[in-house]
Amino acid sequence: MFRYQSLEDCPLDEDEDAFQGLGEEDEDIDQFNDDTFGAGAVDDDWQEAHERLAELEDKPVASREQDGPSSEDLDLLGDPEDTLAERLTRLVIDSELEDPAIMQAVQTRGPAQQPGGLNSSIWDSSAVLRRMRGPLLTQEMPSVSVLDYALPQRPPQPRDDERDPSERALPRRSSSPVIGSPPVRAVPIGTPPKQAAVPSFNQQILCPKPVHIRATLQQRYPAPYGERMSPNQLCNNSSLLGHPFPHSVSPVLTHLQRAQLLGGAQAGRMSPSQFARVSGLVGSPIPSVNPKLLQGRVGQMMPPASGFRAFFGAPPAPPPSQLQHPPGPGSHLQSLRPQPQMFRPDTTHLHPQHRRLLHQRQQQSRSQHRSLNGSVGDRGGHRSSHQEQMRKDPYANLMLQREKDWVSKIQMMQLQSTDPYLDDYYYQNYFQKLEKLSAAEEVHGDGPKKERTKLITPQVAKLEHTYKPVQFEGSLGKLTVSSVNNPRKMIDAVVTSRSEDDETKEKQVRDKRRQTLVTIEKTYSLLLDVEDYERRYLLSLEGERPALMGERKQKICDMYDNLRGKAPGQDRPSDDHFMQIMCIRKGKRLVARILPFLSPEQAADVLMATARNLPFLIKKDAQDEVLPCLLRPFSHVLYHLPLGTVTSLVQQLTNLPQSAPAPAPTNLHLTAVLQNKFGLSLLYLVLSRGEELQSSDTNTELMQDNQWTELMLMATRELLRIPQAALAKPVSTPSNLLSLFSRYVDQQKLNLLETKLHLVHGIR
Amino acid sequence: MNYMPGTASLIQDIDKKHLVLLRDGRTLIGYLRSIDQFANLVLHQTVERIHVGKKYGDIPRGIFVVRGENVVLLGEIDLEKESDTPLQQVSIEEILEEQRVEQQAKQESEKLKVQALKERGLCVPRADTLDEY
Repeated sequence: MFRYQSLEDCPLDEDEDAFQGLGEEDEDIDQFNDDTFGAGAVDDDWQEAHERLAELEDKPVASREQDGPSSEDLDLLGDPEDTLAERLTRLVIDSELEDPAIMQAVQTRGPAQQPGGLNSSIWDSSAVLRRMRGPLLTQEMPSVSVLDYALPQRPPQPRDDERDPSERALPRRSSSPVIGSPPVRAVPIGTPPKQAAVPSFNQQILCPKPVHIRATLQQRYPAPYGERMSPNQLCNNSSLLGHPFPHSVSPVLTHLQRAQLLGGAQAGRMSPSQFARVSGLVGSPIPSVNPKLLQGRVGQMMPPASGFRAFFGAPPAPPPSQLQHPPGPGSHLQSLRPQPQMFRPDTTHLHPQHRRLLHQRQQQSRSQHRSLNGSVGDRGGHRSSHQEQMRKDPYANLMLQREKDWVSKIQMMQLQSTDPYLDDYYYQNYFQKLEKLSAAEEVHGDGPKKERTKLITPQVAKLEHTYKPVQFEGSLGKLTVSSVNNPRKMIDAVVTSRSEDDETKEKQVRDKRRQTLVTIEKTYSLLLDVEDYERRYLLSLEGERPALMGERKQKICDMYDNLRGKAPGQDRPSDDHFMQIMCIRKGKRLVARILPFLSPEQAADVLMATARNLPFLIKKDAQDEVLPCLLRPFSHVLYHLPLGTVTSLVQQLTNLPQSAPAPAPTNLHLTAVLQNKFGLSLLYLVLSRGEELQSSDTNTELMQDNQWTELMLMATRELLRIPQAALAKPVSTPSNLLSLFSRYVDQQKLNLLETKLHLVHGIR
Repeated sequence: MNYMPGTASLIQDIDKKHLVLLRDGRTLIGYLRSIDQFANLVLHQTVERIHVGKKYGDIPRGIFVVRGENVVLLGEIDLEKESDTPLQQVSIEEILEEQRVEQQAKQESEKLKVQALKERGLCVPRADTLDEY
C-alpha cells in the first residue's frame, strides 16, 4: 500500500507533507477490495471461532460418555459399581461444560498455549487431546504420564484453577532431557522414591510415546474417585475422600513431583511403602490402595503410580490390595506388621549379597516382632523394661520397619565401593586392628569372645565405562555437543612463560620453592605407594610378586633421585637440591619416612649431607622445630654404619679439620650443633655408636682408629670449652658416653664433662 | 536386630529419648521418632532446655523436625539416670532471666576486651563472622 520501498524512505519527521502524502495514498486504496472491505470481510475473532469448533467437538464426546459404559469399546469403566459415581460427576461437570463462560476460559487457555508449546506440534491431533480432557474432567487423572514428562511445555489441565502461580513459574525445561548428557535427575539422589522399579524405563522416557497409549491408560484404570489420588490431592484435602464432586482441582502434579515420580522410577528405588504394594517383580501392576491408608500418609503414597507402571509392564490385572492397614498413625501398633502373605519387594537392582542381607533382615525382623518379648538385641534383661515402656508408648513405631530398612538400605548403598582401601582407608585399618586384637586374645587361650557382628559391605565389581559421545546415524562427522563427560575446549588459552630477564629475584626464589614443593609431593606419592606394597604383596598372586618387587625397587630409586637431585655424573656436587627439600617442614618429614627404605649407602649419604649442612638447617628449622623427627630414623641408620662412616660423620658434624694442630678459636659449626637440641642429640648418637664400635670390634684398622682418636680429642676439647648455659637439651643421653670420654680425657676433665653434660645417671 | 554393626546408624535409636545439640547452641530433648539418610530428625514431645550455671529450665516445644546438617551431636538419655543430676530445675521465667543476665555480662566483657585490644592496636575478628567461612 505504501509507496515507500524501504524504511529509509519513510520520513522521520511527521510534517504536513507526509500527512498529505498519506492522504493521497488513501485514495489509492482499493475500495473495492472484497476481502478487505466487501462481503468477503468477515469481522470475526478467530479465537471465538476456534472455541465454537471446540464446543462442537466436545458435545459429541460428552454425549458419548453419557451413553454408559457398555457402549464404549475402549472399556472406559471397568468397574460397574462406580458407574453411578462417575455418572454423577459427569453430570455435574457437563452442566459446567455448557456454561459458556467456563468453556471460554477453558478453551482460550488451551489453544492459546498449545501453539506455544514446542512439542505440541508433534502430537498433532488436538482432537485426541480434547477427547482426553473429557474423561479427565470426570475422573481424577492419574498423576503422571510419559507425555507429561516428555512435554514439559504442555499446558496445564483445564481444571487447574487451584494451582498456585508459583508452580507455573517453574521453568518448564527443568526436566527436559538434554541430548548427550545422562538423563536428568530432577530429584536429588536421596529422596524417598515414589515409584516402583521399572528397569526398562529410561528409553521410554526419552522417546516420547504416541498419544493413543495415554488414552488407553486412562481407560484401563478407572478407579473410583477415592482410590485414585495424586499426592497433591492428598495434600490438599483428605476430607474430600469419598466426596463425589471434586471442587478441588484435577490433580496435576507439580513439576517436581512429576519428576520425582519418574526420577524415582528411573533410579529403580522404592519407598518403604512401596514394598507393601509390589506383589512381585516388575511385570505386575501395583494394586490400587486403600484410601484410608492414604489419609495418614500424605506424600508417601503413590497410588496413581500403579496405573502408570502397569502401562509399561504387563497386561492389566488389578488384584486387590494385599495389605490392609488400619487407618491413622495413632493405631500403628504391632498389628501393623506385614501380613503373612509374602510380598517380595523388587530388589533386582541390588547387589546379590546386599539383597540377601536385606531379606535376611526382613525375615529376622518379622520373626522378631511376632514374638512380643522378642528382642534379639544385645542387651538382654535390661532391655525388657524398655520393651515394656515401648509397648506402653502409644507413639512408638511411627517409623515403620520397612522405612527403617529403607534408610539402612540407603546407608548400605553408600558403603558400596569398588576399592574399599581407597575409599574407606581408616575404617578398614581400624577393623583390621580390632580383628588382630581379638585374634591375639583368642590365641592366649581365652576362647573366642563374644561374636562381634561384622558389617558386610556390598562389594561392587569395578566396571570400566568408556564414554562414547552421542552419534547419529547417517550424519557426517560427530556432534559438537559438550557435556560433563565430553568437555570441549571453549577458550584458546595459551600459556606463555616469561623470559628470565623479566623475572625479579624474588620471583625466581618463589619459583624454585614451588618446584621444590612439587618435588616433595611427587616423592610423597611414591612413598605412599611403596609403603602400601606390603599389603599388595599379601593380596597378590604368586606370579605377580616379582613384578611388584621390581616396581617397588624402582620407586625407591626414584625417590632417592628426587631427594638428592638427579645428577648427570657420578658424584653429587651440590647438596643444594636436598637442602631445599630439607628447608621445608614437609620435606623433613618426608626424609624421615623414606630413610627406612633406602639402602645403607644411600641412607649414609643422606646423613652426611644433613650433617654437613647442619647449621644451615638448624637456622631454617628455628620456627618449625621438626628436625628431631629425624632422630629415630637416623639412629636406625647409624646402627648399620661401619666405623669409617661414623668417623666421617663426626667430622662433618663437628666440622673440624682432619689434622689441624690447633682448632680455630671459635668453631661456629660445632657451636651451632651443640646449641641445638637435634644437633646435640645427633652428636651424642654418633659418638655413642662410635664408642660401641670401638669397644666391640677389635679388628678395627689402625688408621681409622687414629682418626677417631684425634677427632675425639678435639671434640672433647670443644665440649669443655663451651659454657654450660649454651648447651642444648638433648633428646636422650646415651649411657656409654662416659666410657667414651674416659678414654680421651683425664679424670679432672672427665668430671667436668660429667657435670656439664649431665652424663651421670640419676640426674636426668 | 543389629542394624549395621560397627557404624553410626540412628536406626537403633528410634523411639528413645535423646538429647540433641544444635549448631545454634540450643539443646533439645525429645523422643526420636523418625530419621532419614541425612540424619534429619523428628523429635516428639520435645523440650528445649536452657542451662545457666547450675540451673536449667525446660520449655516444652512439641514436635520438632530438625534438618540434619544443623545437628552437632546427639545422644540417648538413660531414663533411669536422667534425674540423677546436680543441676537444679527452675521455672521458665527465671531461667530466661538468668540467661539474659548472662548474655549481658558476656557482651560487656567482650566489649571491654575489644576496647583493650584496640588501644594496643590489635584487631580480633569476631567469632560470628568467622563462622560464615
